[in-house]
Amino acid sequence: MHFTGRDIDQYIQQQQYVDTAVIPLVQLDLAPNGLKQSASASDYLQSLTNLLEKQFKGRILLFPPVAYSKNGDRSRLAEEMNAEMRNTEFKHVFYITTDAEWRTFEELNNVLWLPAIPTENMDQSFKLSVMEDQLRQVLPLFIKEWSKPS
Amino acid sequence: MSNNRVSRRQFLGYTLTGVGGFMAAGMLMPMVRFAVDPLLQEKAGGDFILTDQKVADLSEEPVRVDFAFEQVDAWYTSEVTSSAWVYKEGDKLIALSPVCKHLGCTVNWGGDPEHPTQFFCPCHAGRYEKNGKNIAGTPPLGPLDEFAIEDRDGLVALGAVKANTLVK
Repeated sequence: MHFTGRDIDQYIQQQQYVDTAVIPLVQLDLAPNGLKQSASASDYLQSLTNLLEKQFKGRILLFPPVAYSKNGDRSRLAEEMNAEMRNTEFKHVFYITTDAEWRTFEELNNVLWLPAIPTENMDQSFKLSVMEDQLRQVLPLFIKEWSKPS
Repeated sequence: MSNNRVSRRQFLGYTLTGVGGFMAAGMLMPMVRFAVDPLLQEKAGGDFILTDQKVADLSEEPVRVDFAFEQVDAWYTSEVTSSAWVYKEGDKLIALSPVCKHLGCTVNWGGDPEHPTQFFCPCHAGRYEKNGKNIAGTPPLGPLDEFAIEDRDGLVALGAVKANTLVK
């Protein structure tokens, strides 16, 4: 489900089934030489998370991307997100990002890091097949997390 | 030469009737065409989307067929890709919607190794038989929806989604 008014209504009714939150983390690098790459990575991440939402619509709630500046304090952001997530009933929280710095952070559980693939020059059907290949790498991680005895 | 010669008066009469008839027909024809147009439209129309899937390549095993269409959401137009599970039953083509009737996840054919001849929803382990019938005891409460499907010059064309008609 998406983080929209309509989907949230359904979420509130079906909370026992929708037990997983997915939060994309997007780094903003607005320096002239980082701008293009940052935009492309953000586009990639949003395409991927939308595809993921389509596959697992009934079990995940996809949050809008959380954006932060390149030199922002990631551990503070992580703490704030964790604190906010404690208000919710989610059993599983996934963070998904293309920013390599998150790989060294211990504060967040279940950070999925993926290298961004620039998709802006691909035609529609090729882009779709690339994104589905990417999705196939992510899906088992979710299934594995769900099948863990809790 | 024939005996009943056409007089000048008769000739003019015939000519005027003929020309007048053409003029009247010229005015009435478009009006009649406009009037019956909605009826003709519906026969030819129906929003079928042509896919890349060849009908000849289909078998009794459901395969995933992707298709794309434009969707307008307020001011935002986007190309949406969607898919269907298509198979043949005898000579009949059948296309099922991959949207789980529980909470809308995407179901896969044979997604569960223990039930290779069923549709499987990975979210809450919902299962459906090949004709889309939901299996009792799993979360879904209804059968998978069906697409209207056509063979268009050897390619599969998909139409509107409708309630499942295969499950009795």
